[in-house]
Amino acid sequence: MDCSCARALIELYLDDELDREQAAALEAHVDGCADCRGALNGLGEVRRALRDESLRRPAPQALRDRIGADVQAQRPVRNSRARRSAPWMRYAAACLLAFGAGGISLQAWNRLHGTTERTQLARDLFASHWRALAANSPVDVVSSDRHTVKPWFAGRIAQSPPVRDLVEQGFPLVGGRLDYVGDSRVAVLVYRHGHHLIDVYMLPSPATGPVATTAQQGYTLEPITLDGQRAAIVTDMDLQELARFERLLRQ
Amino acid sequence: MVAGHAWVGDLALQHLDAAYNLARWVLGNESDASDAVHDAYLRAARAAHTYAGGDARAWWLAIVRNCCLARLSARRREPSLEQAEGARLIDTLLRTADDEVEARASAAQAGRQVERALQALPVEFREALVLREIEGLSYREIADVLEVPIGTVMSRLSRGRALLQRGLGIPMQEALHGL
Repeated sequence: MDCSCARALIELYLDDELDREQAAALEAHVDGCADCRGALNGLGEVRRALRDESLRRPAPQALRDRIGADVQAQRPVRNSRARRSAPWMRYAAACLLAFGAGGISLQAWNRLHGTTERTQLARDLFASHWRALAANSPVDVVSSDRHTVKPWFAGRIAQSPPVRDLVEQGFPLVGGRLDYVGDSRVAVLVYRHGHHLIDVYMLPSPATGPVATTAQQGYTLEPITLDGQRAAIVTDMDLQELARFERLLRQ
Repeated sequence: MVAGHAWVGDLALQHLDAAYNLARWVLGNESDASDAVHDAYLRAARAAHTYAGGDARAWWLAIVRNCCLARLSARRREPSLEQAEGARLIDTLLRTADDEVEARASAAQAGRQVERALQALPVEFREALVLREIEGLSYREIADVLEVPIGTVMSRLSRGRALLQRGLGIPMQEALHGL
């Protein structure tokens, strides 16, 4: 890869829009080219500036209430008993009515619903990661030795998770823990890179839908398949490091 | 309003923060942003039958954006204020570039600096950057929201980033010859 090609791909690389092969080729070039590394670092700085928390503000409660009230007023069943019904019943009623009115196709509804489930999964994973960061210790079993961590999960969880030794590549194992995602118990492997903690969640296969790459408040969720099992990485590392970690995990 | 499109409400509430942020950055003003998002919800509920599948968040954000642009063009009919504001923003941007070293003294200040710099960008670059960097959308999703080809998304992001990089005083790598 030459410099002009690399420059054209740098932003796609940062935006995670390159396939693995292209990303690896770009990394190889950038490793040996100070100019392109400078360009990458400059753009990385712009990204860091833009990801400053102060730039994203939650919607004001007044707006949420206003739309919430409109939605309530629009709900089809209006007697007081229905209003007190469980959220799932209201949801189901909305579903039925949407079908009845022919408002959206079944396929569209499934897609919409799938999105909701995925978002719920992403929310669970972020929440678990943040909970772990706030706790005294982010792990239940503390060990940098994968031969200690892996057996710890045996008997606690059906499928023993793949554990990698990446200390030489700069991602030492911190330990493991059990956590809940939805209502399933999942194994979490915790690695460290500098000051960043990395959680690798082993997801129960049939119970959850696919996960999409999601960013929230400087944290990234990245789906990955490890030894045929579905997993998700949650961390606040920057995206280049995350991509490198992903590749190492897959090996 | 047609009853029975409560899913639109659920969708709007689920992605309300994203909608509000996009509106706030496009309009540059919090109360206008709230009003635009509420307009967008009403419009989405009326247009629910036009939703033909695909990325529901992108569908919703595209409606939010259209409501914001409608407000922007209404605002342009009162040009004096807009122009004065534009001149002030460019002025601020130039000054912040000069004061770069000092401005970086604290993280909070750096946050305000990038806020000003981003707000001073032309809206088509600003909205693309907000969707990519703050809301984390992919190129495909951004293209759906902005209703433009992916190539356009890429060039807007690229130009927006270059302008911001200059505005923030981050050293730029010299362009390659022949690029």
